Amino acid sequence: MKRWIRPLGIVIACGLFVLPLLFMLTGSLRIPGLPPPDGFEWLPDQVRWANYSSVFGFVSLWSYMVNSLIVVAIAVPITVLVASWAGFAIATARPRVQKTLIVVSLIALMVPLSALWIPRFVLFKWLGFTDTLVPLIAPALMATTPFYVLIFALVYARIPKPLYEAARLEGLSPMAIWRRVAFPLGRAAAFAVAVLAFAWHWANFIDPLMYLSSEERFTVPLALRALQSLEPTNHSILLAGAVIATVPPVIAFLIVQRAFFVRALDA
Amino acid sequence: MAACTGNAAPTANSITLQVSGEREETAVYRAIVTAYENDNPGIEVKLIEVADRDDHLTKLATSYAVGDPPDVFLINFREYSQFVVRGAITPFEGYVDDAGIDLAEYYPAPIEAFTYQDALQCMPQNVSSLVVYYNTDLFERAGVEEPNAGWTWEDFRATGETLTQGDVRGIGIEPSVIRLAPFVWSNGGEIVDDLDEPSAFTLDTPEAREALEFLVSLAHDGLMPTEKELAAQDLVTRFITSKVAMFLSSRREAPEFREVRGLNWDVGPLPIADEEVGILHSDGYCISSLSKDPDAAADLVAYAAGQQGQTLAALGGRTVPSLIAVAQSGAFLNPTQAPARSEVFLDAIPNLLRTPVIPTWPEIEDLAHEILTRAFYEPGYTIDDAIEALRAETGGLFAEGVDQLQ
Repeated sequence: MKRWIRPLGIVIACGLFVLPLLFMLTGSLRIPGLPPPDGFEWLPDQVRWANYSSVFGFVSLWSYMVNSLIVVAIAVPITVLVASWAGFAIATARPRVQKTLIVVSLIALMVPLSALWIPRFVLFKWLGFTDTLVPLIAPALMATTPFYVLIFALVYARIPKPLYEAARLEGLSPMAIWRRVAFPLGRAAAFAVAVLAFAWHWANFIDPLMYLSSEERFTVPLALRALQSLEPTNHSILLAGAVIATVPPVIAFLIVQRAFFVRALDA
Repeated sequence: MAACTGNAAPTANSITLQVSGEREETAVYRAIVTAYENDNPGIEVKLIEVADRDDHLTKLATSYAVGDPPDVFLINFREYSQFVVRGAITPFEGYVDDAGIDLAEYYPAPIEAFTYQDALQCMPQNVSSLVVYYNTDLFERAGVEEPNAGWTWEDFRATGETLTQGDVRGIGIEPSVIRLAPFVWSNGGEIVDDLDEPSAFTLDTPEAREALEFLVSLAHDGLMPTEKELAAQDLVTRFITSKVAMFLSSRREAPEFREVRGLNWDVGPLPIADEEVGILHSDGYCISSLSKDPDAAADLVAYAAGQQGQTLAALGGRTVPSLIAVAQSGAFLNPTQAPARSEVFLDAIPNLLRTPVIPTWPEIEDLAHEILTRAFYEPGYTIDDAIEALRAETGGLFAEGVDQLQ
C-alpha cells in the first residue's frame, strides 16, 4: 500500500506539470484564423505543422535565438564559476564571517529586481553598453542571483571538514582545494546551477525590454511577447513559438540530467 | 557630437521613434519610417517597437529616468499628461508653422485634447471614437435591424434581447469609465465636476446614475457575458467566435477583425438617450524634451502626422485619420474592406467629448475599472456602493493630479 503512494504522488505531480506543456503542443497545431476552442482540445481536427514555419514570418526568431544562445553560452559558465567560488568561500570561512556572508546573501536575495532597474541602467548607459547584450550577461559576474551562491555554500559545507584540512596540510592553496576537492565532490550542485542559470537567462524578459532597442539584438522572450500580442485566433502561432522557445532549455536539461541524478545519488 | 550645439541646423542624423503594438500593427510605422528616410536622405530613423502597451510605458519611464528617452514617442492623450507636467515633452506648438502645418486642416477634438496651457504639446495622428461593432450574420439570423443613426437605448436593449439566444449574448461592454462616459453624456450628465480641474466623479447626479443603471441592468439581465464566461474568453474573443453579437470599442479592433475567417461584421453608431455624443480616442506623436535634435524630431512628427504619414497609417486600417482630407479619402473609406460603414467613425467626430487630462487619470481609470467590474458582476454590490466607492477611492488621486498640473 505505502509502497505505491510515492510513485502515485510523483505521477500526479508530473501530470500537473505536463498538462500545460501538452496544451501548448496541441494548441500549436491548430489552424490559425479559426476561433479558439471552448475548452481543452486534445488534438485539433486538422493538424497544421506549418504554424512552426509561420512563426518565422511574424518575428525573426532565428536571430533572436542566436542572441539568446550567445547570452547563455557566456553567462551560464561564468555564473557557475563565480557562484561556486563564492559558495566555497562561504563554506570554508570562519563561523562568524560565514554567518555574516550568509546574511548578506539573503539580504541581497530579498532586494526586488525592479529596485535595481534604474541604477543599473544608469551604470550601463555610463559605460556605453545600452543596446548591447552586455547588460544581459553582466549579472553572471555576480553569480546571477545569490540563490546560486547559497546552493553551492550548502553543498560545500556538507563535504566533511577533514577533507579540506587534509588538503590544506598538503600545502594546497584555497584555489587548488576548490578545484581538486570541493568542485569535483559538489558536481551535482554545478549541474543544478547550470540548468537553473540557463533557464534564468533564457527566460529573462525585463532586461532585454529595458536595454535593447535594435531588433537585431532582441532575445527570445521579446519574440514571445510580440507573438502574445497577436489576436486570439492566431494564438496557435504564439504556442508554436513557445514550443520552439522551450526546446533549448529542455535539451540543456537532458544533457546534464544524467550526470545530475547520478552525482546526486553519490552525494 | 555636433548635435549638442542647440541652435545649429539639424546635424544629428539619427532619430529614435518608440511605438507600441503587435508586429502587424507596427508595420504601419515601419512603412512611415521607410518612406520618410527615402524622402530625407542622410537621416536615419530608428524605430523602437514595443509589443505591449504597458511595456511601452515602462520602457519610456525607465529611459526618461536615466536620461535616455527616444526622440519621439506615440502615446494616448489619456496618458501623456504625466509626461507634460514633468517637463518631459517639448511642445510641438513651436514647430507648427515651420513645418508648414495648418491646424485648421485637422479635426479640432484631438488637437484640443493634446493642448495644455494654450500650447499644442503633441501632434495627434488619429481621432477614433466608440462605435458598436456588430456581427451581421447573427443580426440576419435573429432578423433584427442593423444599428442606425439616432437609435435609442431602448432600441439597443431590445436588439440585445433578441440577439441573446443559446450561447450568444447580445451585448458586450467593458466595465470601464471610457465605456460608461458616452452613456452619461448622452443622458445629459457629466462624469466629473470640472473637465480641466476635476476634483471628483459626478456619477451621483440623476442623469449619470441612470446611465450607470442602464449598463448594469444589461449585465444583470443576462444580455452580456457573465464574469465566468469572460474569465474563459474575453470580449474580443467572444465577438470573433460569434458569442457576442454587439461589442463596443474604438477603431483599433478593425485590422484584427478583418483577419478572422468567416466573421462578417460592420460598425454602427452608439445608441443615444437624448444627445448624440461620442468619446474621443486619440494618439499623438510627442517630442522628448531631452531630444538632442528636436528640429529633426519635429520634422519626422510633421511627416508622420501629415498627409503621407496618415495615408500610410489609414491604409493599415488601425487609425481614423486626424487630418480631415485623409479621413475623407479612399485610404480610410475604402469600401472594399470591412467595415463597410467606416463613415460611422467620421459622423461621430463633431460630437466627441473627452475625459479629463490629468497625470493621475490612468490610475483613476484603473480604480474605476475595478469598481465598475464589481457593479456589473458582483451580486449584492449596488449602484450606490459603486458610486460611493468611486467618490471615496478616487478623491485623493484627483487632488494629486490637479495639484501636479499647477
